[in-house]
Amino acid sequence: MNVRSQISMVFHLDKCIGCHTCSIACKNIWTDRKGAEYMWWNNVETKPGTGFPTAWEDQEKYNGGWVVEDGELKLRSTSKAKTVFNIFHHPNMPTMDDYYEPWTYDYQHLFNAPEGPDQPTAVPISMVTGELINIKSGPNWDDDLGGSPIYAENDPNLDGLTDQQRQQLFAVERLVLFYFPRICNHCLNPSCVASCPSGALYKRGEDGIVLLDQNRCRAWRACVAACPYKKTFFNWSTGKSEKCILCYPRLETGQAPACFHSCVGRIRYLGVLLYDASRIEEVAKSPVEDLVEAQRSLILDPNDPDVIAAARANGIHDSVIESAQRSPVYKFVKEWKIALPPHIEFRTLPMLFYVPPMAPVMAGKENGAVKNVSEDLFHDIEEARVPMRFLANLLGGGNEGKVRYALRKQKAVRWYRRALTVGDVTDAQAAEMLAQADCTPEEAEAIYRLTSLCTFDDRFVIPPMHREEAIEMMEDPLEHKQNTGFGFLTGPRRGL
Amino acid sequence: MRLSLQPGRSWTRTLPGLCLLVLAPTLMGQEAADFFRQNCTSCHTIGGGRLTGPDLKGVAQRADRDWFVRFLVNPQAVVDRGDPYAQKIVQEARGVVMPTISGMTPARAEALLDLIDAESKLDKSQFMGVQITDRPFTAAEIQAGRQIFRGEHALKNKGPACISCHTARDLGGLSGGQLGPDLTRAFERLEGRKTLAAWLSAPATPTMAPIFKKHPLDSEEILPLIAYLENQAAGGGEDMSSGKLTFLLIGLGGAGLMLVLFDLAWRTRFRSVRKQLVLSSTGRGEE
Repeated sequence: MNVRSQISMVFHLDKCIGCHTCSIACKNIWTDRKGAEYMWWNNVETKPGTGFPTAWEDQEKYNGGWVVEDGELKLRSTSKAKTVFNIFHHPNMPTMDDYYEPWTYDYQHLFNAPEGPDQPTAVPISMVTGELINIKSGPNWDDDLGGSPIYAENDPNLDGLTDQQRQQLFAVERLVLFYFPRICNHCLNPSCVASCPSGALYKRGEDGIVLLDQNRCRAWRACVAACPYKKTFFNWSTGKSEKCILCYPRLETGQAPACFHSCVGRIRYLGVLLYDASRIEEVAKSPVEDLVEAQRSLILDPNDPDVIAAARANGIHDSVIESAQRSPVYKFVKEWKIALPPHIEFRTLPMLFYVPPMAPVMAGKENGAVKNVSEDLFHDIEEARVPMRFLANLLGGGNEGKVRYALRKQKAVRWYRRALTVGDVTDAQAAEMLAQADCTPEEAEAIYRLTSLCTFDDRFVIPPMHREEAIEMMEDPLEHKQNTGFGFLTGPRRGL
Repeated sequence: MRLSLQPGRSWTRTLPGLCLLVLAPTLMGQEAADFFRQNCTSCHTIGGGRLTGPDLKGVAQRADRDWFVRFLVNPQAVVDRGDPYAQKIVQEARGVVMPTISGMTPARAEALLDLIDAESKLDKSQFMGVQITDRPFTAAEIQAGRQIFRGEHALKNKGPACISCHTARDLGGLSGGQLGPDLTRAFERLEGRKTLAAWLSAPATPTMAPIFKKHPLDSEEILPLIAYLENQAAGGGEDMSSGKLTFLLIGLGGAGLMLVLFDLAWRTRFRSVRKQLVLSSTGRGEE
């Protein structure tokens, strides 16, 4: 057992209102720079939809992630031999059109326009060419099902849905959508790290954050092609690739990452998980339908004395272990099993988990009149508008059972709370629902509290980072102690 | 004294005069002969008749010694000054001005003039030049020359083959190197076998000299090369204009072929997703 710690995340999709505040918070801090205009380390997608870049989930086209061939894990996009063969042309590189051409507006025109018959407007200007631009797509072009005949109907997750299900999904008056915010998953088996010919990407030892060394990056962009979530981006100005850093400077000072901190719907949870690094390869090779369960088995119980002993032996600080014991992520993923990894079939073992959204059908239309479809508020989840198959493709690695379990438990919690607060459901009914959903009243209460009444400190259990210990192997943290002032990072040229 | 032969090296410049003055009398004779062989024989003989430049037998009587020293150190300067004798020499050489020889100093010029004087008094100077047959060349000799030119037969002294810098008409479409001049008509330019032979035995241009000083052509290689170049010139016609067109066409065709191969090698490459989506979903020819 090789115990390591990983800062992991849960996004509660049932709470997301699709306001993009997270994206803007991130943009303002990290990617509001030359060369980073098109980057969205955090973005919010509408499902069904094709997302950003367009249809990123379709690895037949983008060739990201891993496949198992002859019992071996292999990158789809590259290999040692292919790196040499493709040295002048990487065949799996997304084009600017699949992201979008970034633009701004010519605001000065509002002030400088010559007198004319019409009000002047701020015309869009390409941030690449500086010329007038006819905007054809953007980072959330298909937001709220915009352009759905083009984008939403080509969502790769619709694979395996019957024609009838598809038609229902897009029939007017039956339209349904939910939001899918995305950041880097800080995977356990990151294909971006594996693909880099320069060794610029690495998974930070103490907390598992995947980082990209700007000094080592040599602009091969293999990570851009290899990441199936398309969460590494190439900066055309610096000639280096960049990615989400999970706001590690904020984490190191005890603050939640910007997108977490700013989240209006409070959908985001962050905490430490302990996992067994010696089994990563074995788990990543599991059959597709077993992947969700296999990944869960990697995550270790932080209260198990054996795990604690092994973690200590591996240099994990007691304060981190204590933090793991309070981790909301551990509860969602491992105890309650209601948070699921996105597209685990890419085999990168993402460490960002999603609680699938409920989409209850409240009413439908019949002969031109609105008709209540369901008498009870929380009817059978099988009749939810988002087909189970769709959610399974997105969050279950195709395994509908995992999604059904998570939805059933959420529904049971609602019935349980209904019985307590409203009383239109009997305690017996609620108890039966809980039993069906493999849930005890205590667990239901805990889920309810962490979902609805969670405070800042409930959502973000940030471990002390102990940076001073982590950097000890590279530099002396006490180097500047007892020096005058702050000293120099690089010595001055003049004098001694 | 070997050091004074390599004037480009800085350490030789730090004690040049002293070296020459102290050591000159004893070593000058052999050194001057080597220098003459390497730098002068491609254009001059002593008693062997005119090549590109005049026969130097008894040259001392044609002008005074100071004039020769000045001329040897910088021929172009003397010609430019409008010196009548220098102009006459240039006229006789049909406009070819003697190049400035690298490493030529007043002291060395004196040594060379002494050498020429001494050699002129001999019946048969060692610098009579290459004696070459007048008989017509055989097809076998021409073929041997072609093989040497093309580098199919490596040069005995490990010099580079002609084709690496020069071309000739019968090399066809891909032709030879373009660094040096086209040699199709070199035989005519140098006016015959003797001059050509002298040139080949000690090529004197700034590009060729440093290479062939160390790796001279063997005497047995010179004859077939002359045979080959004579044969090329005898073919008549201008140089390689049609060859250049062929080269261009081969280049364009090759580039096209490479593009096709690249397209095949990367046929599964990523192509635009969004645009295709829009086009196929709207079923229109435009976005």
